[in-house]
Amino acid sequence: MVRLIAFAEAPASNTRKLIMSSNHESTRPVTIRADGISKIYGDFVALHDVSFTVRQGTIAAFLGPNGAGKSTTMKILTGYLAPTAGRAQMLGLDPGDEDQRRTLAKKLGYLPENGPLYPDMTPNELFEFVGEVRQLSSLAAAVERVVSQCALESVLHKPVRKLSRGFRQRVGMAVALLHDPEVLILDEPTSGLDPLQIREVRGLIRKLGESKTILLSTHILQEVEAVADEVVLISEGRIAFSGTLADLKKERTIEERFYELAAQKPAKRKEVA
Amino acid sequence: MFGLSPPVIRAIMRKELAAYLGNPTGYVFLTLFIATTAAAAFLQEGFFARNLADLAVLNQIMPPILMLFVPAITMNVWADERRSGTEELLLTLPVRDAEVVLGKYLGALGVYTVALGFSLAHLGVLIFLGAPDVGLMFATYLGYWLMGGLFVAVGVWGSMFSANATVGFILGGLGCSALVFAGAEPWASGLIGIALISGVAVLAVYAAKKETEGLATTAVVGVLVATVLWVGGIWPDFEGTFALVGVQQHFAGFGQGMIRFGDVLYFVGGTAFVLYLCGFLLGRRHW
Repeated sequence: MVRLIAFAEAPASNTRKLIMSSNHESTRPVTIRADGISKIYGDFVALHDVSFTVRQGTIAAFLGPNGAGKSTTMKILTGYLAPTAGRAQMLGLDPGDEDQRRTLAKKLGYLPENGPLYPDMTPNELFEFVGEVRQLSSLAAAVERVVSQCALESVLHKPVRKLSRGFRQRVGMAVALLHDPEVLILDEPTSGLDPLQIREVRGLIRKLGESKTILLSTHILQEVEAVADEVVLISEGRIAFSGTLADLKKERTIEERFYELAAQKPAKRKEVA
Repeated sequence: MFGLSPPVIRAIMRKELAAYLGNPTGYVFLTLFIATTAAAAFLQEGFFARNLADLAVLNQIMPPILMLFVPAITMNVWADERRSGTEELLLTLPVRDAEVVLGKYLGALGVYTVALGFSLAHLGVLIFLGAPDVGLMFATYLGYWLMGGLFVAVGVWGSMFSANATVGFILGGLGCSALVFAGAEPWASGLIGIALISGVAVLAVYAAKKETEGLATTAVVGVLVATVLWVGGIWPDFEGTFALVGVQQHFAGFGQGMIRFGDVLYFVGGTAFVLYLCGFLLGRRHW
């Protein structure tokens, strides 16, 4: 509890100042905002004072090693989890408030980590269920659109449990896109896909990024270079970098910067920031 | 309806029903339920000795039967979602926690209702053997349905604690057995009293403070206070008071053809209370 108060009352970190400076030139409105988010499980600090913003129409890569806190941050942004301290905001709505979360969920597409789906349902049944819950007025047209976008024609009537990992991931993506959301949060969207499928999914993300705000988590550096406009780098639950891709690789390669930032101890990282 | 969306509840309910009835296990359950209740109703000496076309013999054994069968319906209600990770998918759709709880409850209740519907075949046996009283049969089946409805809520509650269906079955079974044995055994009534006092204290503290800090301490203090009230004899007739929580005496009237308002209120109110607890537990992810 003492630590929790300390986090909550902590002054704006240098990291946050960096974020503000890296974004100040942009006039586009902020779509996703994490403001001093901490998440503590017992004695384990999963996230510490995480702050960053993603502006409208941007593809932002949430980059970090496994266990860095990417998925926890995404769960908080979608309202699935509540932060121990700090505040998340998306499209001006607070996912911590049930009414606002419900409104937000209508505008948000979310692909959770590992693309969990109901194994006994076929993709078609899944779309029907999600469409019914979302109360989509033109479900047939929406299904036709996402089936075409994610190339699911051949598996529409096969139970999810019989699909390959790649197809399951694409079905998860289609579920996230079904209501044509303004914002997409994709937790490791290319995880488990073969190189060909990865290329297709990255192409789809780039295309979607022309009209939507996308935050995608990854630990694959090539993915960041392939799709992202901006990068938020997280390591051990703390933001190590937030800015444009060009800023990240200004002086060194993205690999060198990643290893440098991810390997730094928290105290030293703040100095750099 | 209380800010809840019926189409959302209906969609979740249909998904639950399809998951259960689209699975061979569901039909095994239905067959076993009908066979067990038929055996309990007709294959006992008492049935023919009484020479009455009613289900009085089954009524005595129905609470223990439901205590075992209902948790078998509900054990996967949450465990499957937790195990496969779909809970995250479901709870990030535009749904309220209460809609999810109600949808899942109604889905499981639907399965129980289908099972009970098939057991109406027992009435055919009674009609073949004699002339059963229509009002008595209606009241008896209403009692079965209301009692099952309460047990389904308890089973859903039990399934919320773990991703393991077996744990869900055991917890649901324990909750239902507490309701079956309360009133029948003084020690069971006393234990129910302790659990209820502690649980109500936790809910009251949470409602007042809207934070989870100190809830474990409140639960322990609640248990200690209730134990002192019971064992120390400070609360006269502690066991008798909490014997009222047991299902047996509230179901007895239905079995005799009487639909008493108090008994209906007990089952409906008890179900609503347990579903409220389920919503409270679902909110754990925000703690």
